[in-house]
Amino acid sequence: MARIELSGIQKKWGAVWGVRDVNIDIADKEFIVFLGPSGCGKTTTMRMIAGLEDPSEGQITVDGELMNEVDARDRDVAMVFQGYALYPNMTIYENIRFPLRMREVPKADHDRLVREAARMVELEEYLDRKPAALSGGQRQRAALARAIVRKPQCFLMDEPLSNLDAKLRQAMRVQIKHLQRQLKITTVYVTHDQIEAMTLADRIVIMEKGMIQQTGTPDEIYSDPANTFVAGFIGAPPMNLIPGELLGGTFRAPGIEIHDVKLTVDGKVTLGVRPEDCHVTPEAPNMTGTVYGVEPTGDMTFLTMRVGEHLIEVKADREYRRALDLPETVAFDRKRLYFFDTKGGQRLR
Amino acid sequence: MASQRRKRGESRVIRYIILGSWAVFCIAPVLWFLSIGFRPRTEIITPQPIYWPTFSLDAWHMIWSDWPMASYLRNSVLAIIGSVIIDLVLAIPAAYALSRYRFRGREDIGFYILSTRMMAPAIVAIPIFFLFRNMGLLDTIWALMLIYAAVNLSIVTWIIRSYMMDIPKELEDAARTDGASDLRILWEIIIPAVLPGIITAAVIAAIFAINEFLFTLLIASTKNAYTMSVALANFTGGSDGLIYNAIALVAFLAFVPVFIVVVAIQKHLSRGLTMGAVKG
Repeated sequence: MARIELSGIQKKWGAVWGVRDVNIDIADKEFIVFLGPSGCGKTTTMRMIAGLEDPSEGQITVDGELMNEVDARDRDVAMVFQGYALYPNMTIYENIRFPLRMREVPKADHDRLVREAARMVELEEYLDRKPAALSGGQRQRAALARAIVRKPQCFLMDEPLSNLDAKLRQAMRVQIKHLQRQLKITTVYVTHDQIEAMTLADRIVIMEKGMIQQTGTPDEIYSDPANTFVAGFIGAPPMNLIPGELLGGTFRAPGIEIHDVKLTVDGKVTLGVRPEDCHVTPEAPNMTGTVYGVEPTGDMTFLTMRVGEHLIEVKADREYRRALDLPETVAFDRKRLYFFDTKGGQRLR
Repeated sequence: MASQRRKRGESRVIRYIILGSWAVFCIAPVLWFLSIGFRPRTEIITPQPIYWPTFSLDAWHMIWSDWPMASYLRNSVLAIIGSVIIDLVLAIPAAYALSRYRFRGREDIGFYILSTRMMAPAIVAIPIFFLFRNMGLLDTIWALMLIYAAVNLSIVTWIIRSYMMDIPKELEDAARTDGASDLRILWEIIIPAVLPGIITAAVIAAIFAINEFLFTLLIASTKNAYTMSVALANFTGGSDGLIYNAIALVAFLAFVPVFIVVVAIQKHLSRGLTMGAVKG
């Protein structure tokens, strides 16, 4: 059982803000992912939950118990680090056993628990090896085993897959999700990889410049972005953001025209449209431009169009081919258009 | 193809000649000392060159029977081991604090420790003499241990600190979240990780201690505390005049233990000396 609440959390080093006014309520057994670019404060927030950093202001509670003054070693959390942080002088067996020794778990249980954890991450054959003799994926699994061995209240994972190659990352992702569901332990996961966030999370917290930009399920974050930062950060390729003008229900930008926009505001706005919501068609087009690039990927084709000064990404059919610089027209999916205040970046509804 | 192979063979021969010459250059004084040590005294001071020296154990017998060489050797070994232990016991926690904890004046303290090494030993020689005299420690091995430890503490702390700074902080964070206290982290994680650095620092401290002369001369006055370095000086004066073969043998005896230690741990030593300087 671990419900973690962060209220009014701030972290400041001198005049530099690390984290500003973070409020999150993490439910028991929830898998929550902090997502954002480098330096956005996501790791600092996690380190404050672990007790490795002290918040400058605000409260951290676990199941209602205030944790601010509790030392890291007395918090019942287990952390998995980006660089694995396996103890190089110990075998994998000793690495996994280390938290059991430190937490004074009865010695008689050590061997059983270590082997059980190793079995869960398929590492039984490597228990007598030193970390240096393992591959990156095996080391990461050893770090996971060390975290799960004593069944903590909460897992904290700081970009645990970022040092692995793409194929291994995908395999480990599935393993982490499976383990979390199996163990039913509250998990806080930090990443800058949106695919990891989307695939793993029950809820995603998107951060930038130390502040939370949006909190929601992966579907909410993707389909209902709160501002241009979230819209531009999630999705591969990201959402197209095109500044223009809205006047009397018609949005206009060079090469783009959309009628019957159901917004009451007039003035400068930014249109957001995802590449998969753009359809190449000559009928009732909203956008006219020229072909800038065509990139077939096998299951589809990425079309980049030059429209006015902007390059717009479009996901076209797998068969789509067209010579560069030829004119092309695109219609938008009207149900999936987003408008943002150009100045503040906030979503207009 | 054949000419290329010949060229490669030639370059290898040249390499061996250069390396071989260097090895001879380094080892020649040692062998020269050894040959002097095992010759009769008369043969050493003769002005004519002797191509086939006579083997003699005169000097060997002399240093063990006429001189308390066993005491000198024992004093040296005990003082060195004792001082290195004192250094490590004090330097490891100090280096850990200086490398890991953030506190006001941390850099200043670090530099202050190192700056004690910059002072010429002669400046503090007289006060140290009085200090040990007042403590009643003159002419004891304990005094040698303390003074060697004091002289080397700064360099040992500094070396170990530089290794500790290279250890990823993640390792400590991991141990802390695993439930380890600061002492357990130091003992179980940090010390094993900086072992090459600790060995390097210990060897350097031991070499400095073996070579230490001034303070030993000041503190030691009998065989109770004379070490090999001071014993060497005893063969250069007195009514017997310069006893070259005995000097050579004692110098050789002083050299051998250091040589054995350095060869035995050279892998750690070279790795240690570079690891402290370059971020891995």
